[in-house]
Amino acid sequence: MKSSAAPALPVFQAKDFKSDLKPIWCPGCGDFGVLQAIYRALAAVGRPPHEIAFVSGIGCSSRIPGYTTAYGFNSVHGRALPIAQGIKLANPDLLVLVAGGDGDGFSIGGGHVPHTIRRNPDITYIVMDNQIYGLTKGQLSPTSPRGLKTVTSEYGSVEAPVNPLLYVLAYGANFVAQGTPADMAGLSEVIEEAIRYPGFSFVNVQSPCVTFGGEEAQVKAHRAHMKTLKSLGHDSTDRLAAMGLAQLYGQELHTGVFYRNPEPPPTLDALFRERQETLAGKALPRERILDAFIQK
Amino acid sequence: MTHRIDFSKLSVCDALDLAILVEEEAKDRYEELADQMTIHHNEEAARFFLRMVQIELTHERILTNRRRALFPNRPCVVTRAMIFDVEAPDYGDARATMTVRQALEMALGGETKAYEFFDRALKEVHNPEVRDFFGQLRSEEQEHQALVQAQIAKLPPEPVITAEDVSDEPVAH
Repeated sequence: MKSSAAPALPVFQAKDFKSDLKPIWCPGCGDFGVLQAIYRALAAVGRPPHEIAFVSGIGCSSRIPGYTTAYGFNSVHGRALPIAQGIKLANPDLLVLVAGGDGDGFSIGGGHVPHTIRRNPDITYIVMDNQIYGLTKGQLSPTSPRGLKTVTSEYGSVEAPVNPLLYVLAYGANFVAQGTPADMAGLSEVIEEAIRYPGFSFVNVQSPCVTFGGEEAQVKAHRAHMKTLKSLGHDSTDRLAAMGLAQLYGQELHTGVFYRNPEPPPTLDALFRERQETLAGKALPRERILDAFIQK
Repeated sequence: MTHRIDFSKLSVCDALDLAILVEEEAKDRYEELADQMTIHHNEEAARFFLRMVQIELTHERILTNRRRALFPNRPCVVTRAMIFDVEAPDYGDARATMTVRQALEMALGGETKAYEFFDRALKEVHNPEVRDFFGQLRSEEQEHQALVQAQIAKLPPEPVITAEDVSDEPVAH
């Protein structure tokens, strides 16, 4: 870089999004890296903290909004998505982020995911997928691999895991990516891209649970076996190719953008705004509404 | 790890700014690790990480003074967004019950990463002054590695049964 032609420095830095609250996650938790990646992504996007609403459900990872300077809502278990949609519809100018764990997103809140996808609000959903219920001391979660031994599966889980990537792709999500705190720069990039995408965007983060997860699921192991989708030459505009790669969830750790619809459909908030504008033209003036009601 | 840095175009001033940011990032990470250990009642590891904060702060100040003396009015065009975990130890290596030896090993990992960073950067740097500076920083990282290894060697061996084997899952506060 040439000092003589100094580029404009970014308006915000990662530290501008860091709150005074100190994370109480277990040391070694993957969520520390995810939080750093979120700070970086928000700084790169450049919206001030007061224009951002960060909603979460319940769980270790759902503490994340409190660790940012954005407006935060640590809400109800599994209900972060409907709350976030309400916020976005009430104030479409806000940048709305949602975060939670795999249990919050794909078990307790699993029913909300397809409906959010089909409505396509302009929000970003970051799932910290650690394949376990960590906060409640290590029970099977919807993404726990078959055979996993936990306090609720002494002899190993007999259930097949939910595949979050395939799940959202099959329901028609227009932006689907995956990352890991083993590559914080790459994770930060996909989160930034997800935020910038117009419409519902989903980022699955393989975020290890240091207390109840095995060594093979920790950050070091991720670093050893992760593969970027770019290095595979994946075409992120091809939904079927994305679904093919997504089927390897649990066997391979692919990072990057699986699918990005190059022609984003209209967002829910845009459609609502349009509808409001159309109807507003035919609407009675406010002072005549009561008269019209009494006449009927 | 770097992000959007073209080492071939770095000026001496940019290189100094970059080195300052690397130290700042490491200092911030050690501060976070000290907080994590304090929250999880591991005072010994917390004290070690706080010592590392002071060391990184000293390095940062030395570089900052040099920068101010050499380029007092030149604006900084390098940002923290361009680096990621250069010397900062990996979050994933921390444990609530970690010993001072494990904390030192984490620090060693940070110093090793920093050495590798400057070593890789040197292959792309063209400016002879920047090459000298990065070469100097690379040597310093090697010295730091030796210092940490010497500290590790002074410690008694780890017990066969660790706190991790017998303690319950971590609880904050």
